[in-house]
Amino acid sequence: MIKKDYKISIFKIVKFLLILLIVDFTFGAISQYVFFNQKTGKFARATHAIEQTNAKILIFGSSHAHRHYVPEMFEKELQTSSYNAGAEGQQLLYHTALQKMILKRTKPDLIILNIDEDFLYGSQAAYDRLSDLHPYYDNHRKELKPILALQSRFVDVKLFFKSYQTNSTLVHAIRYYLAPQTDFKGYRPLYGKLNASDKLKEVETDEIETKIDQNFVNAFTSFIATAKDNNIKLVMVTSPNLIKKEHLDNESFRMMKEIIKKKNITMIDFFNSERFLDKYELFHDSSHLNNEGARLFSSLLAKEIKK
Amino acid sequence: MLFNSFDFLIFLPIVFILYWVLVKDIRLQNILLLVASYVFYGWWDWRFLSLIALSTITDYVVGFRIQNSNVQHIKKRWLWVSISFNIGLLGFFKYFNFFIDSWVDLLASMGYQPQNVWMLNILLPVGISFYTFQTMSYSIDIYKGKLKPTKNFIAFAAFVSFFPQLVAGPIERATNLLPQFLKKREFTYRAFSYGIKLMIWGFFLKLVVADRAAIYVNAVFNNIENHDGLTFIAATLFFAFQIYGDFAGYSLIAIGTAKLFGFDLMTNFRRPYFSASVGEFWTRWHISLSTWFRDYLYIPLGGNRVAKPRWLFNLFITFLISGLWHGANWTFVVWGALNGIYLIIEALLFKKNRKGLLNVFVTFCLINFAWIFFRANSLENAVDILTDIFTTPGRLYIGSGDDIAASLYATLAIIMLILIETKKEYFNTIFSISKNKLEIVRLAGYALVVFMILYFGVFGESQFIYFQF
Repeated sequence: MIKKDYKISIFKIVKFLLILLIVDFTFGAISQYVFFNQKTGKFARATHAIEQTNAKILIFGSSHAHRHYVPEMFEKELQTSSYNAGAEGQQLLYHTALQKMILKRTKPDLIILNIDEDFLYGSQAAYDRLSDLHPYYDNHRKELKPILALQSRFVDVKLFFKSYQTNSTLVHAIRYYLAPQTDFKGYRPLYGKLNASDKLKEVETDEIETKIDQNFVNAFTSFIATAKDNNIKLVMVTSPNLIKKEHLDNESFRMMKEIIKKKNITMIDFFNSERFLDKYELFHDSSHLNNEGARLFSSLLAKEIKK
Repeated sequence: MLFNSFDFLIFLPIVFILYWVLVKDIRLQNILLLVASYVFYGWWDWRFLSLIALSTITDYVVGFRIQNSNVQHIKKRWLWVSISFNIGLLGFFKYFNFFIDSWVDLLASMGYQPQNVWMLNILLPVGISFYTFQTMSYSIDIYKGKLKPTKNFIAFAAFVSFFPQLVAGPIERATNLLPQFLKKREFTYRAFSYGIKLMIWGFFLKLVVADRAAIYVNAVFNNIENHDGLTFIAATLFFAFQIYGDFAGYSLIAIGTAKLFGFDLMTNFRRPYFSASVGEFWTRWHISLSTWFRDYLYIPLGGNRVAKPRWLFNLFITFLISGLWHGANWTFVVWGALNGIYLIIEALLFKKNRKGLLNVFVTFCLINFAWIFFRANSLENAVDILTDIFTTPGRLYIGSGDDIAASLYATLAIIMLILIETKKEYFNTIFSISKNKLEIVRLAGYALVVFMILYFGVFGESQFIYFQF
């Protein structure tokens, strides 16, 4: 009797798993179709960078990259194509993976990485947001596995399911299908000026630890190594601040500068640039330039690079 | 180890296969369950295993002492050893700092600022409120003559630490669960299949309903200064389903897991939000705890077989203590007291066995009102939230960035849950996927639920809310 029950259970479980695989494959394929056919929004921009762009200048970094680097200005000044692959809220782990996926297909002449001073400090959000890379796992397993494995030990098991690869992306796709999100070669301008008389509103940020995360350090050095291995010029840039800030106590920034120096990488530091300090009219909020500020910054940076 | 972790996904099949390989030897099965349970618990913090072991040994010994004594006051003395030990553990680890803190606040309010307050830097051992109550029920039942102590120490230790329900219940009675460790368990397809189904639905409740809703709830309740009344109402409604999905989901996974090993645990939730009175709500919500308090506190206090004022006092004190059981914070005490007050008003003003959708709606609103105290980070926060609800409706916050999607998924999942539970509550005899004659329909139905978990679920391996209690 018990043996019979064992047999039935195994048989039913196998049947259930087969049906689950069919359901997962069918709905997962539909979901992937929807995902990869998005025209606007953060996923559409990432997909474009990974699968289509042949731009000769590629820009990486968090919201500061995404909101501050105007490809049109680089194209005008440097007479070459440019694409902004910056992604809001994403940090070094994401950008290292993104860089590897892009370079598998195309080799730009120049890569710009906008570095945030806290890039090397531990951040759970940086790990959590790696799920934005899941949809690309099937086609870029080799590049993504080492990085996604930092998020979960069982990455292969989880991402075996197609539906999990596109987990929680449907609303995003519908949202930007109904209300397309305009970008200019990956750059999305911020409008509106900060008024000096207004009380400065603190921008909501994730809680920042001040402990160096070795995985982020490794990602940073790996980003440099990948560019070097592909003979691509790499420039590290810091975005302008509104208020003068000293970084002497910032271990993360100090460490990045040390690595940059050691690896002989060009660094262009706009942190406390006089052109932007206390220029409220160039900022959208205390941390981000508005379109006018971004255009000025991009133009100045392009000129620096041209030198 | 969390149910919603990949560690558990590996742990469970290994234990399951080993367990049924040992089918002919019940003793070895119990040893395996005991070891597995200690591994499961030790995954968090192995140091606290000593507390479970101590609680096990104490009640094992006390059980015999009570049974073997012929003198009533000696029996009682031994019972008090068990109660003092278990409540002492709880008091020390869960309430010590709370009482010291409250005492200091009280003195401060009278104008006296004590110097050098002695506080302890102690962690709350996961599940301590659950397993201490479970072991206490063993000694109490022996004292009451409902149960004979078992000589089988391994079976008893496995009963105390049984991993599916160790950390968040259902709080089992020794009279129900312990005998199951003493008899041969047989593998049946029926139990296996039912267990898997319960687990799938439990994971849906946890990962899709609760964890999605949690994103909005946390964004609001942890930043109350940035929100107004309408948003607080929405967040409270979300929290009602978050805590239901979280705890009912955990309970279903626990019951389902136990079924895989041939054990029957008690039902812990029966669609509580369809209750037509608060009294009914407490027969449907966290049933294992409310019946525990009924049997071991409310009835020993005299229950309703006493003078009316005393009966109402019994009701109130039972819920007040139940509130405190949930956490060392005045928010939980007020939450418990509110439920006690609801029940007193119902007992005084309304007839029993009320029915009807209007009563369901009113009960749901009352329960939600109390949830505000349960979820608020402090009593002051709860008062601020209530003030805003009644004075400053403001604009409804729908989330920012990716949180908008999370709120939308949570809303969809909650609507789906309400539809399914409405069907179960009022139209249970009509179409049912799980009872469909066609096997393909049944299997495809459950495959679709798994798909929804994979597609809409939150896989951050988040804690279950009740672990903190």
